[in-house]
Amino acid sequence: MNNSAASTSSGSGDVPAPRRNSNRPKYSRFTQQELPACKPILTPRWVITVFTLIGVIFVPIGVAALMASNKVVEIVYRYDAVCIHGNTKDEKVAYIQNANTSKTCIITLTVPKDMDQPIYVYYQLDNFYQNHRRYVKSRNDAQLKDSDKANDTSGCDPEKTTPDGSPILPCGLIAWSLFNDTYSFSIGNQNLTVNKVGISWKSDRDHKFGDNVFPRNFQNGTMKGGASLNESIPLSQQEDLIVWMRTAALPTFRKPYGKIEQNLRVNETITVIIQNYYNTYSFSGKKKLVLSTSSWLGGKNDFTGIAYLTIGGLCFFLATAFTVVYLVKPRKLGDPSYLSWNRNPSGH
Amino acid sequence: MMNSMSVPSKRSTLERKLDKLILTLFGGLFFMCLIGAIGSGVFINRKYYYLGLFEDVEQQFNPSNRFVVSILTMFTLITLYSTIIPISLYVSIEMIKFIQCAQFINKDLRMYHAETNTPALARTSNLNEELGQVEYIFSDKTGTLTRNLMEFFKCSIGGVSYGVGITEIERGQAQREGRALNEIQKSDTVVYEKGFNFDDDRIMRGAWRNERDPEIFKEFFRCLALCHTVLPEGDESPEKIVYQAASPDEAALVTAAKHFGFFFYRRTPTTVQLRESHVEKMGNIQDVSYEILNVLEFNSTRKRQSVVCRYPNGRLVLYCKGADNVIYERLAGTNQDIKRLTREHLEQFGSSGLRTLCLAYRDLTIDTYENWNEKFVQAKSSLRDREKKLDEVAEMIEKDLILIGSTAIEDKLQEGVPDCIDTLSRAGIKIWVLTGDKMETAINIAYACNLINNDMKQLIITSETDAIREAEEKGDPVEISRVIRDSVSHDLKRCLEEAQQDLHIFGQKLALVIDGKCLMYALDPSFRVDLLKLSLNCSSVVCCRVSPLQKAQVTSLVKKGARRITLSIGDGANDVSMIQAAHVGVGISGLEGMQAVMASDFAIAQFRFLKDLLLVHGRWSYIRLCKVITYFFYKNLTFTLTQFWFTFHTGFSGQRFYDDWFQSLYNVIFTALPVIILGLFDKDVSASLAKKYPQLYKEGIRNTYFKWAVVGVWAFFAFYQSLIFYYFTTTASENGHNSSGKIFGLWDVSTMAFTCVVITVNLRLLMACNSITRWHHLSISGSILAWFVFIFIYSGVMTPNDRQENVYFTIYVLMSTFYFYLTLLLVPIVALFGDFLYLGLQRWFFPYNYQIVQEIHRDEVDSISRTEFLEIGNHLTPDEARSYAIAQLPREKSKHTGFAFDSPGYESFFASQAGVYVPQKAWDVARRASVRSSKRTSQR
Repeated sequence: MNNSAASTSSGSGDVPAPRRNSNRPKYSRFTQQELPACKPILTPRWVITVFTLIGVIFVPIGVAALMASNKVVEIVYRYDAVCIHGNTKDEKVAYIQNANTSKTCIITLTVPKDMDQPIYVYYQLDNFYQNHRRYVKSRNDAQLKDSDKANDTSGCDPEKTTPDGSPILPCGLIAWSLFNDTYSFSIGNQNLTVNKVGISWKSDRDHKFGDNVFPRNFQNGTMKGGASLNESIPLSQQEDLIVWMRTAALPTFRKPYGKIEQNLRVNETITVIIQNYYNTYSFSGKKKLVLSTSSWLGGKNDFTGIAYLTIGGLCFFLATAFTVVYLVKPRKLGDPSYLSWNRNPSGH
Repeated sequence: MMNSMSVPSKRSTLERKLDKLILTLFGGLFFMCLIGAIGSGVFINRKYYYLGLFEDVEQQFNPSNRFVVSILTMFTLITLYSTIIPISLYVSIEMIKFIQCAQFINKDLRMYHAETNTPALARTSNLNEELGQVEYIFSDKTGTLTRNLMEFFKCSIGGVSYGVGITEIERGQAQREGRALNEIQKSDTVVYEKGFNFDDDRIMRGAWRNERDPEIFKEFFRCLALCHTVLPEGDESPEKIVYQAASPDEAALVTAAKHFGFFFYRRTPTTVQLRESHVEKMGNIQDVSYEILNVLEFNSTRKRQSVVCRYPNGRLVLYCKGADNVIYERLAGTNQDIKRLTREHLEQFGSSGLRTLCLAYRDLTIDTYENWNEKFVQAKSSLRDREKKLDEVAEMIEKDLILIGSTAIEDKLQEGVPDCIDTLSRAGIKIWVLTGDKMETAINIAYACNLINNDMKQLIITSETDAIREAEEKGDPVEISRVIRDSVSHDLKRCLEEAQQDLHIFGQKLALVIDGKCLMYALDPSFRVDLLKLSLNCSSVVCCRVSPLQKAQVTSLVKKGARRITLSIGDGANDVSMIQAAHVGVGISGLEGMQAVMASDFAIAQFRFLKDLLLVHGRWSYIRLCKVITYFFYKNLTFTLTQFWFTFHTGFSGQRFYDDWFQSLYNVIFTALPVIILGLFDKDVSASLAKKYPQLYKEGIRNTYFKWAVVGVWAFFAFYQSLIFYYFTTTASENGHNSSGKIFGLWDVSTMAFTCVVITVNLRLLMACNSITRWHHLSISGSILAWFVFIFIYSGVMTPNDRQENVYFTIYVLMSTFYFYLTLLLVPIVALFGDFLYLGLQRWFFPYNYQIVQEIHRDEVDSISRTEFLEIGNHLTPDEARSYAIAQLPREKSKHTGFAFDSPGYESFFASQAGVYVPQKAWDVARRASVRSSKRTSQR
């Protein structure tokens, strides 16, 4: 401002021609807000096109996903109720916590369809909050990875040390509550071997759990949370632990138990001997055994396919509906009579 | 100083509304936390033995005291959900506004005034969007609507009217009535000088000698040249002299005298020296020195000014000039013809929007003068009531005057004012003129500006009624106030009734004209409501004879009473309080002083630039900021709600769904830039279309884009989207997700969800854009890319530190599955499905006006105005060259309001010359300083 004042009053002598200290802003597309831009207008035609396009893309994907899901054969068996004695919750808890009772439980499963190997064995828990804040943070990744940090149990409350003060490895609630039911499968007299190698993500094995870190003082406390670990096997090979420690997102979750590398034929009867050690009775959680094949999309998962199909179908429907509306009662693009001040000229 | 107010700090209405939104969000935050806290208290139980809730567990998870658990969880949740409060919003808004001001408003070539070399200036970056919502404009007249450029335009001498020019008003009137005016081509010899725009071959260049009565011409010119308080400055030649005047009218009159051949070139304390041409005979030039004996100064009650001077030959004459009614009262009884003719001319001039003055003289005998002078000196040296006594003494000699004629001065309108006002009123903006001028002038200017036209009914509330005048003559202040009060109350009621009737029954537009004295009473709390109701019903309001303080009061009345957004525009010190009182103050930078600019929020060089400032910059800023705010609201709500849904599945423990770094960087990196780009570049319609369809501006006045309904729609879709994000990514999480049957953990799911959120939220922004530049593309793809780069590095590296390696390798795990890609395609499209459908339906069936305009002009390429701009300033048309040259002249250092003699600094200006102390007024100081210095030069 001062500049303009100065230049207007000082430049009184020389008339229009060249003005030296002009305050005239320089032209640029940015400052004049004239950057080249495309201006998409969401015309009915565009709406219909987009919906059609989404439909065209989504329906085939949906069909493919659904087909993949349908190809998957899954056997789910809930065994927590049948494998327990006692009627009330307290009785059940007492039974499961009593070290002397027999936890063996035999169930039979019938194969509904041919299942090609590999067949994955999962256990599924319910009402188990692996994502509880206290639970999730109760671990020490450094300790699991590095043998030098075996004594580093920070963050592992309340499973840091044994009562006599020696550090637990692996420490923390997650490891402490390791799932310890076991399953053994047989068809007739023939045992089905369960391969427990390779059920965890490779990155976990290679990087998060050390191959020179061995369990120590694990489950030595007064209260035993779950499974014990073989102290002569390094953590990187304790895949049950590795799988368990990749905490689940929701309170209902599946964890891989192993895989059966043998084809199963339809109507074959599988006998499963379950050692029902794990206490889910305290909190009324269900336990399920799952046998499942897999497809390119993974396990049985209708949701994705249905979602794709629904959206694709909905888009087709909307596209059609809009086309009908568009043909029956078209709105002329850019009709000035739609302008509000033309609609009621009194100007309100 | 009496009229000055404390400088208010201004915040935009939008920001105030934003505060409410933020408060609502805080409410929402509290509500969410409360639910979570109650849930956590209910949930916590020792039965979940795997949580290790032994006797010595910390308070936060101790089931023995559920209340404490709730309270502590509440705090945890507050930190967890704090993302709902868009903290970075304020920073982003400030950034956007600053760039809008510094780069767009200040550098807009459309608002650059080449003649004064002045670009627009945004003095605050707070109020950009307020410009898009202005409903009432309060405008000063002089210097804002008019140029404060007084040009001697016509005159009437001895009952004959001279001057061939045609005013804008006459032209406008003729246009309205469909008459053609035959414009007389001005002769080549016509003189152009600031203050003089007159041509008539009958009197120019000495031709007056051939008129019927040359003597009266001499009196006329001498009166112009002698009866004034102008100081000449600079070289004593007609071309180079500069007149320092208290009002531009005075300067115009003296300049006119110069062109008529009576060149006033020097003032000494006692004399005025003129270079008179053609007096004795044609072509004869002689220097004459007149002795100035007394100066009877101007004030608002006297409305006239006189000097007593002695000719070199000893003749004593009193020259007087003043308002027509004042002069006519004091004329001698002779010469009725001239009086009648002159009055006719006065009316003619007045209706053409010209400002008139009557000139008269009186020959004095030495005796009369000596007698009177004694009394004058006495009065002047009296200590009490000096002003009053001086007035009384002046009254004794200013009588039996002989009318010479009248002058008519054109108060030139600023360029483009009528067009601008027309456009603004079509934009739904109501323009009020607040001026110190007398009513007739104000109405004239209002007519000239298209503010009032003949289709409108004029409601006039004035103090110039017989009853009031009668009361004033009696002089009892209590009585006067009672009479005015009654009359104002009566008038208000009458007008209100008429207004209701006319507006609702006949649909006629109304114009209210009210003068300052009535306004003083009407602003009284008891009438205020009526006044407001009445004035809000009127399409235009003209307040005349108002003081600076009243200007501010009227502004506040509308601002506070009607709760509408107001804008004040003015150029001078007397507009400062009004500028400060309004929501937005705009100062005219250019010829006048700096006070208005210093008090203003925006400074523009011309009134017509308001069109660009409001319809283009204001509108865009408003729309952009609304979008920015609602978008911020949406993106944070969506993000936080996914977290909220997760809480229900974690036993209300306050476990994070997202990694800390995701949460912290969400607002800072992954979604920060695109919204700023939107706030800078979004353009629904081009600048020229915004001005072509001013009605589009109404959407801002009605606050169409930041209503609760709009926020509600965004909130609804945020809600919908968050549900999609959360459930679609978690629902299938219990199954294996690749052919080797492996299972995702919490952090895999959350990384997937976060990826979906980032992509969706960025794409949603693209859907909100009206124009997409490559900056949009860059910033949006950049943001999404930034997320991937970040997660590739972050999850790929193991740090030696003791951090939890939660997200280690998650993205690689995810990317090894088909499921991830299917989800990545599915979730954003499902999430945006609702928005897309809404936008499509809205546009199809309930289009906004701007959308129609977009469609009308969809095939037009934005004309790049570069060439048009390049021409500005390089080639000036002759007219521009002239006004440029005038602008280059030393600036007027006076403040002028209204009618020629009405300048507020006038009395003190005079007084300072006479060495009399008069209380200082703010606007005087600078001028007086300059007067003193010029006086020295003139005496040299």
